[in-house]
Amino acid sequence: MNIDEIFDYTSFTIDREPHIVLDPQVCVGCDNRGCTNACPARCYTWSEEEKKMTFVHDGCLECGTCYVVCHRNAFTRWRYPRGGFGVAYRMT
Amino acid sequence: MSTAYDAIVVGAGPAGSSAALTMARAGLRVALVERGTFPGEKNMFGGVLHRLPSLEEVFPDFWERAPLERHIVKKGVTFMTGDSSFSTTIEAGNFDRPPYNGYTIFRPRFDRWLAEEAVKSGATLITRATVDELVSRNGRLAGVTILDRKGELSAPVVVAADGVLSFTAKKAGLRQPTFDPGQMAVGVKALIDMPRELIDDRFGLVRDQGFANEFVGCTGGVRGGGFLYTNYDSLSIGLVFHLGSLRTSGKTPYDLLNAFMEQPQVDKMIRGGRLQEYSAHVIPEGGFNMIPELVGDGIIVAGDAAALCNATGVNLEGINLASHSGVLAGRAVVAAHQTGDFSRRGLQVYRELLDDSYVIKDLKLYRKAPHMLHNDRIYNEYPELVCGMMEYIYRIDGAPKENLSKLFLKTAREKVGLKNLAADAFSAWRAL
Repeated sequence: MNIDEIFDYTSFTIDREPHIVLDPQVCVGCDNRGCTNACPARCYTWSEEEKKMTFVHDGCLECGTCYVVCHRNAFTRWRYPRGGFGVAYRMT
Repeated sequence: MSTAYDAIVVGAGPAGSSAALTMARAGLRVALVERGTFPGEKNMFGGVLHRLPSLEEVFPDFWERAPLERHIVKKGVTFMTGDSSFSTTIEAGNFDRPPYNGYTIFRPRFDRWLAEEAVKSGATLITRATVDELVSRNGRLAGVTILDRKGELSAPVVVAADGVLSFTAKKAGLRQPTFDPGQMAVGVKALIDMPRELIDDRFGLVRDQGFANEFVGCTGGVRGGGFLYTNYDSLSIGLVFHLGSLRTSGKTPYDLLNAFMEQPQVDKMIRGGRLQEYSAHVIPEGGFNMIPELVGDGIIVAGDAAALCNATGVNLEGINLASHSGVLAGRAVVAAHQTGDFSRRGLQVYRELLDDSYVIKDLKLYRKAPHMLHNDRIYNEYPELVCGMMEYIYRIDGAPKENLSKLFLKTAREKVGLKNLAADAFSAWRAL
């Protein structure tokens, strides 16, 4: 299984409006960044060169991992997508 | 949108739909609010649906009616190291006769069915609706608002069945504002398509029989375990990690899942299958000690939202506890409608019913299990010890044998230390 091909396996109705928003400044000062490895959909990427955390909500499985592992509360928003949007499991 | 109900249920999972069903059958006007386009669309689990005694009361033919996959007749545990494994299985005649002990299911089908049963009993299902805020009037809970929709749904009481992160319980001040990663786990799962006959032959199954296996020692040193379940014509395979341990490991769930699926003995089981779907979800694994406030003024918390999940390392129970708590929440709301008292005190009967049920009794009994499972030796040294011992026992290569009990002590001393062995045995004894 290649996580880069998640859209081939799992269906999403992508909302233009992200349901999770980060304050990137908080991530710069984070000593852990557990979100980057713990997120099962690899939505979080830390760039050491740019000193910048990027979050992409498109392939988010809405599992809750980042909400639990982020000990700096970097979220200015963490809610579920608007009704009808987000991950859509068929048979799991 | 501004409609008055007798009760609002947030989340049409097993807890929410069981609550809605119970209340609707008692004649209450119930709104069952679900953020997916249909109930079950957002839900996954890596597990077995155990018996649901409270739903069996409502549907004596539950097991005939519900959309289920295979009934589990064979349960196994596998201790695993790099390229060796040691397995035990139990296959019981009693598990092959009704009432069956457990089933595999697909959540998008099962959860949808249960919600539809609630609708048949008179509940109003509102899909594509993410609950946003709790509305209060005159110091009392009066309803909820829906994200991106105008107006509100009003009712004197809300059942929060919105899953493990329960923002509804948080907004009501019933759960802690943050979670302890040590009390949480994440499960990742691959659904693998495979012809039914191949599954039957490969796992030694006939008719609708199913196999469920748990694995230890397959998580790259991260605290956790693996699972493999047979559906009719697919396999569910996945890993569960304790989040505190995963966070600091630097390892990723998908790389570990790939490594698990490539382990030679696992590879043989899933070979020929095709990946159909990948899913993940957080699980509340803190047990009794992480249960939040279950009742507030005008609100009751049920299912994963109330952390009602029993992960002892032997059985993994969640849906059954969720459904049972939902039924009890429904009964408590029905009782409150008779007295007209929706205060914390008026709804307290839920707490009493739950305390008196197997849900809280089991969680209390196994309250030490989550702590016992926070022991890295279970996930590294013990699987090595078991596999190493068994390999030695069965290896015949001309070298003279050693006395087995001496060998065990020697290997245990090397791998874990005798003091640790004694402490771990004591801890497991007390926890289970």
